[in-house]
Amino acid sequence: MIEHLELFFKSIFVDNMVFAVFLGMCSYLAVSKKVATAVGLGAAVIFVLAITVPLNWLLDQYLLQPGALAWADGSANGEGFSGMDLGFLSFIMFIATIATMVQLVEIVVEKFSPSLYNSLGIFLPLIAVNCAILGGSLFMQSREIETFGLAVNYGVSSGIGWFLAILAIAAIREKIRYSNVPAPLRGLGITFIITGLMGIGFLSFGGMLTGGEDETPSPEPTAQVEKIQTEDAKELAENTKIAE
Amino acid sequence: MGLKSNLHNLKEKYKGTKMAPAFNAIHTFLYLPNETTHNGTHIKAADDLKRTMNIVIMAMIPCLIFGMFNAGYQHYSAIDALAGVAREVSLFGNFLTWDNFVIGAWQVLPLVIVSYGVGLLVEFIFAVIKGHEVEEGYLVTGMLVPLIVPIDIPLWMLAVAVIFGVVIGKEVFGGTGMNILNPALTIRAFLFFAYPTWMSGDKVWVHGADPRVQDLAAGATPDALSGETILGGLAQNNSSMLDSAGDIWNAFFGFIPGSVGETSTLLIILGGLFLVFTKVGSWRIMLSSVAGAIAMGLIFNGIVSAEWVTESSKFYGLMSTDFWMHLLIGGFAFGTVYMATDPVTASQTNKGKIVYGFLIGILSIMIRVFNPAYPEGVMLAILLMNVFAPTIDHYVVQGNVKRRMKRLKVKTA
Repeated sequence: MIEHLELFFKSIFVDNMVFAVFLGMCSYLAVSKKVATAVGLGAAVIFVLAITVPLNWLLDQYLLQPGALAWADGSANGEGFSGMDLGFLSFIMFIATIATMVQLVEIVVEKFSPSLYNSLGIFLPLIAVNCAILGGSLFMQSREIETFGLAVNYGVSSGIGWFLAILAIAAIREKIRYSNVPAPLRGLGITFIITGLMGIGFLSFGGMLTGGEDETPSPEPTAQVEKIQTEDAKELAENTKIAE
Repeated sequence: MGLKSNLHNLKEKYKGTKMAPAFNAIHTFLYLPNETTHNGTHIKAADDLKRTMNIVIMAMIPCLIFGMFNAGYQHYSAIDALAGVAREVSLFGNFLTWDNFVIGAWQVLPLVIVSYGVGLLVEFIFAVIKGHEVEEGYLVTGMLVPLIVPIDIPLWMLAVAVIFGVVIGKEVFGGTGMNILNPALTIRAFLFFAYPTWMSGDKVWVHGADPRVQDLAAGATPDALSGETILGGLAQNNSSMLDSAGDIWNAFFGFIPGSVGETSTLLIILGGLFLVFTKVGSWRIMLSSVAGAIAMGLIFNGIVSAEWVTESSKFYGLMSTDFWMHLLIGGFAFGTVYMATDPVTASQTNKGKIVYGFLIGILSIMIRVFNPAYPEGVMLAILLMNVFAPTIDHYVVQGNVKRRMKRLKVKTA
């Protein structure tokens, strides 16, 4: 239970897809002019991540990992499959899953909300090549998420993280629509700056829940400074003694 | 009279030219003009912006003066500790003394001057280039900045941070009233992440701590440093700093190390009352963020007393701190009263303000406890909620729209 909570919180805030690893920026920047559209795209991303990450987890566990094919042992004349490593296929398998799912989402959205379908435009099919989606699956693979439940959790929560990011920036962009932004910065320029500033806000979670691997960054430098200073002072004291 | 008429003449002479905003600003800054703000930034509140700003500055002046005395007091008490003498604070005996004030003013006034000088210079340059009047927005920011930095911060760092904060935090959005993050907090966050050794740890909060570190090498007792804030101590499971009732009263009155203006909870409460009374600060934000902090503190206290977290945990120190204590230590009170209520970056709607404040309270205690790297949670909590304030507003407005549509339908049906 606690690991679920931890992973959930961590993938929404600490490892936020946009502010921590800067993935999925193209649609994040392009579709964030209106909150309603942003919500639509964000929901689509949550949905696609929630489906593809667990699916790819299954593929990874039972097909791609070294030794994953152990279940097929003995079925074909006792040939050993367990020694095989199909890891080189992960990219193409993952992308195929994602593309299929996106196609499905597109059909559903077009059927049930044509207006959202029109406002999302090209960016809906482009979710298929959205790096946040493929990134979700690849992070799932490289972080060696252990159970199916955790994989579902990871997909949903990193989707929610991305959703929150695009929701916040869409609201901000709606708010600053009438601001007197300097002409060269209007549009994308100011959006990049806002994203950076939002990143500062999200830094509040940086280093949280890392399980003590990278310990508190701040005491260390001070400790070093102290050390250096004490060493300097000692040296100085010795030098003055010598001079005397 | 001479300066005033000279300025007036200059103002008339340069009217309509490029440098006009600069002269206008000096004129209005030094002398009360007859005009009030008539366009632009006051669009969200039908007040003269200058009046609003002045009230906030007035509310902060006691904190500034107290900060000066406290800086001197902490300095001398650290020197005493170096000599092995423990100090008991007494308000008129050894706190409000001329010596303390001189040391404090010598350190704090340059911070104020650099903050205002650099910030207003940037504002002037932008006003001249863009050809609008110099906006009053920086008056409050420039006062906030010296109050939220450690006393010994090098002035050039402050200047760099102020330039960053004013240009990137405010001017690129079109100036006062348009920014999304609180500029003063942007400045502090910039300092915090760019020069962490000058913004945290136990060496920076008391004037002259650095030279004393050198004394330490020459054989003084380690207690001599004593420059750690209570929050920093608690974050490292060192709970001896809040043992006696006297310590708690000291934390309330503000005789503790910390950023220049943040230490005295009492004066901050008075300033907050003043802001609420003059309707400049929003009581909704203040109250709800205190409520949020208390709620989160109670939850953590509950976790500790249920023994889910033991003393060996690195979270124990701050988790076991009594919930009301969180309100007294660190910058929580200051941030809640002066920063969270910034009318530009907070939520604009009444419902939104309550949600916004409550989340600030919850987040700042949460960051304090779970993120040992950043014992000061309130700064980042406010910045984060600044990011989400427009979202909150959006949904409050949408909710209102929906409700009214429903009402309209009922009426027409």
